[in-house]
Amino acid sequence: MRTRRWFQAALMLLLGLYLLETLLTGEIAFYINERFNWLAGLAGFTLLALGTLNVIALLSEPEGDESTLQGAPDLLPAARGVAHGGTARWYVLALLSLPLILGVFLPAQPLGAAAINNSGIAFSLNVSGGDQAFSIAPTQRNVLDWVRAFSSSTNIDEFGGQPADLIGFVYRDVRFDEAAEFMLTRFTVSCCVADAVAIGVIVRSEQAGGLAADSWVRVQGRFEVRDFLGQRMPILIAESIESVAMPERPYLFP
Amino acid sequence: MDFNTQLTLFSTRFLGIFIEAVSFLLLGTIVSGLIEVFVRKEDIARFMPRRPFAAIAAGSFLGFLFPVCECGVVPVTRKLYQKGLPVSVGVAFLLAAPVMNPIVFASTYAAFGFGPILIGRFAITFIMAVTVGLLFSLERSPVKLLQPRALMAMAGGSGKIAPQLDAPPLTFGQGLLRAARVATDEFFDMGRYLVMGTALAAAMQTLFSQEQIRALASDPSMSAVAMAIMAFVLSICSTTDAILALSFANFGFPTGSLLTFLTFGPMVDIKATLMYLSIFKRRLVIYLAILPLLMSLLFGIFINLNVRF
Repeated sequence: MRTRRWFQAALMLLLGLYLLETLLTGEIAFYINERFNWLAGLAGFTLLALGTLNVIALLSEPEGDESTLQGAPDLLPAARGVAHGGTARWYVLALLSLPLILGVFLPAQPLGAAAINNSGIAFSLNVSGGDQAFSIAPTQRNVLDWVRAFSSSTNIDEFGGQPADLIGFVYRDVRFDEAAEFMLTRFTVSCCVADAVAIGVIVRSEQAGGLAADSWVRVQGRFEVRDFLGQRMPILIAESIESVAMPERPYLFP
Repeated sequence: MDFNTQLTLFSTRFLGIFIEAVSFLLLGTIVSGLIEVFVRKEDIARFMPRRPFAAIAAGSFLGFLFPVCECGVVPVTRKLYQKGLPVSVGVAFLLAAPVMNPIVFASTYAAFGFGPILIGRFAITFIMAVTVGLLFSLERSPVKLLQPRALMAMAGGSGKIAPQLDAPPLTFGQGLLRAARVATDEFFDMGRYLVMGTALAAAMQTLFSQEQIRALASDPSMSAVAMAIMAFVLSICSTTDAILALSFANFGFPTGSLLTFLTFGPMVDIKATLMYLSIFKRRLVIYLAILPLLMSLLFGIFINLNVRF
């Protein structure tokens, strides 16, 4: 019982440290929307505090003292057993170790092209904020701003000739002509990766064939309204494509 | 897809859901700690309407007082039960609060504006929570409904107020250590269900493709079923599910089906439902999943077939 309580305390301290570590290294950006970072920090500190208090309690209690809720009067017969045996069982401790094991021993990696196989990709996103997107200068817009602008526009031709400067990763599926086009893609995450939605802009370039899926690129060029699978849509005609490192925040936050 | 890619995808999704949910769960634990300190049993007795229906309806609006999502609502409900809240009122709170709170109102408004989705989401959630609450009020004995630990300090029988405990006074240090001990046990008790649910949700997201589900968008009844499955499998936080619902709207899902997604998801998803096991007996958790499922499908399909927007 005391061993399990030590294990419990250690697990809370380690989970707290793990949460704070992902915040400090910025890895948290692979998992949740940044507006919840404070909450993850609060959770980290809460776990550290709880773990520390448990350690203090264990050190100050005489060995072999099992009565954890001294002074609590006898309540229901059913509750009595629970009140005196609250410490988590081994399988519970093992379960709560799973996040630590995955977080520490597997390399942290954001969602990429492989994840699109499950979730599909949206060419247009019916998100609010289209008006805001229009207030941003064209070369300052990111993939999400463009997709918003396309979705809220009533006249798709207005985008013809507009310049763009975008960063994203390369994605293609059977619908794309592998040698000449690809999707410049980003994931949007509103809360955590569970709600990730892939969005993208179609890019045409003669260099397209040489770009590996999942590689991060910066594309500069101009939009032209052309046919894609029988539908007229703005397509980015690349003037230059360069390889870049994955951004620190791989997801866009709507 | 090879095994390594699958494992990395699973791990990223698992950790994403876990970090987000565990943060909200701990926030709920902090709120439940504040309730422990600041809310007395007499307060709940005093402010609770006498008539069962009024009390249950009031319970479904409690979320405006304690704004919590479906992960945070579990420790808060459990604490309120320990403070003597009637079971049926707590059920209405548990089911309604993840939707009926200011944060979700704001996010749903941001995604859909003021219209059928916003009004429908709140109205249907209210009706569903009150109906299930009323059904639970048929059983008067909390002992038959709740797990022993959620009953602690609650006098068995009527679900009315337990006598105040006359524990010997503790020093501040002792009190703090005991509070930490209770919070720790609570964290592990609910944490196990959270980890199981998160692992299931992450596995489902990795193994199954949304493409097949989306193919059902055009059928008025199958699309509602598809949305209910999505809500259960994805286990998205209720504070932001409206934004994802918007992307389903893009794939052609009709309003009624979106309402199924937006009312069923916050009440029943893999991780939250498993956490209900830390409050309710297993048989009741099944009711708590099935009843909202049937009602949200009914509403969704009815709207798809009969209402034109």
